[in-house]
Amino acid sequence: MDLGWRVREAGGRLVGEPTGRVDETTWEAFSAHLTAAVHQAAAAGTPLIIDMSGLDYMSSRGLRALTIARREAGEATPITLAAPNDRMREIFAISRYDKLFKIVDDVDSDA
Amino acid sequence: MLVRFWGTRGSLPVAQQAGAIQAKIAQALVAGSGRTFADVAEADAFARANLDFATYGAYGGATSCVEIEGADSAFLVCDMGSGLREFGIDSFRRIAGGHAPVYHFFLSHLHWDHIMGFPFFGPAFNPAATIVIHAGHEDAEIALRRQQEEISFPVPFDWLRAKFEFVVHKPGEPFEVDGVTVSLCAQHHSHDSYGYRFEREGRSVVYSTDSEHKIDTMDAEAAFEAFFANADLVICDTMYSLGDTVSLKQDWGHSSNIVAVDLCRAARAKTLALFHHEPTYTDQDIQRMHAETVRYEELVRADRPALEVICAYDGLEVAV
Repeated sequence: MDLGWRVREAGGRLVGEPTGRVDETTWEAFSAHLTAAVHQAAAAGTPLIIDMSGLDYMSSRGLRALTIARREAGEATPITLAAPNDRMREIFAISRYDKLFKIVDDVDSDA
Repeated sequence: MLVRFWGTRGSLPVAQQAGAIQAKIAQALVAGSGRTFADVAEADAFARANLDFATYGAYGGATSCVEIEGADSAFLVCDMGSGLREFGIDSFRRIAGGHAPVYHFFLSHLHWDHIMGFPFFGPAFNPAATIVIHAGHEDAEIALRRQQEEISFPVPFDWLRAKFEFVVHKPGEPFEVDGVTVSLCAQHHSHDSYGYRFEREGRSVVYSTDSEHKIDTMDAEAAFEAFFANADLVICDTMYSLGDTVSLKQDWGHSSNIVAVDLCRAARAKTLALFHHEPTYTDQDIQRMHAETVRYEELVRADRPALEVICAYDGLEVAV
């Protein structure tokens, strides 16, 4: 399955919208999109929200790409993961990424 | 081939305290409440069928030592952790039954937990024994001699009576050992480490421990996928969660359960054995980590063949 990617600005935030899967065949594209989005958000001085609702799942490569993005973003550009499906919530829990990233239920909410 | 795990714990040997055993017994009594058992065999059968492994069994606490049975006549052993002592005792039994007193060791690296069993390896005192130590490190002999210097141990290396040979190998240059083809793969770890692949008659076992797969070098993981390719069994360092390996325990030289699953899936390996368990983990912790890993494999399997995920414990035997 191919990876889709779109970005939009909404309410003073930059929202990245990946769709499909992130695995060993798509992680490099995902990482490149994330890095570009981090730079765009940093330039605009806005936080970055990753809308996970269109993502089927991501493997460890995708999770590690998130870590690379956050390293790139530093503290100045917060990254929030929003609206993951049940499968992704399980993957975040198993990988303990739920302890590393802020994960919210809805793209437009902070909780 | 038959893979026999003599030590599966990482970093430091551990032993259960009385409280852990008492908790298991209490749980077993509750599970068997109201039942009667004619004899121990019947009680054992009930426990085996009704209790989880963390209650009925134990993952053990000896450090890395894995035997690969399947050479023409010699013993093949990966690493010399504290599990080596039990292997040495068992090898005396098998030698008494006619097995050749020839040992080939394959060292992943020279850190303490991977060589600490050697001073307690009884066959080293057998003048009829031949011990060949294969390593990717040129300083393997120095490491073994140094830990038997008087400041650390009362018996110096030169008092050992077996015939020793140290052989240094390079990744990408396969070699034959008593009917088994062996190859090495360089891994990321302090002072380097090496994975080993053992092949015979179309069957293959990979031993890959103390190997960190860093986020900065994910594009280099193709080398590991090639090394693991189509293996019947891959024994992997799964000491930490992925979250730990990219945060607090970054650069500690170890990997995670879910990276191991992803590498094995990409390599189309058949079975993954979780290995090098964190020494602070209880049996319940290890069992939970195993269940989570099985679940992760299901979550990311998609339309690909299933990868069997087993959890190594001291005493486990796996036919390959």
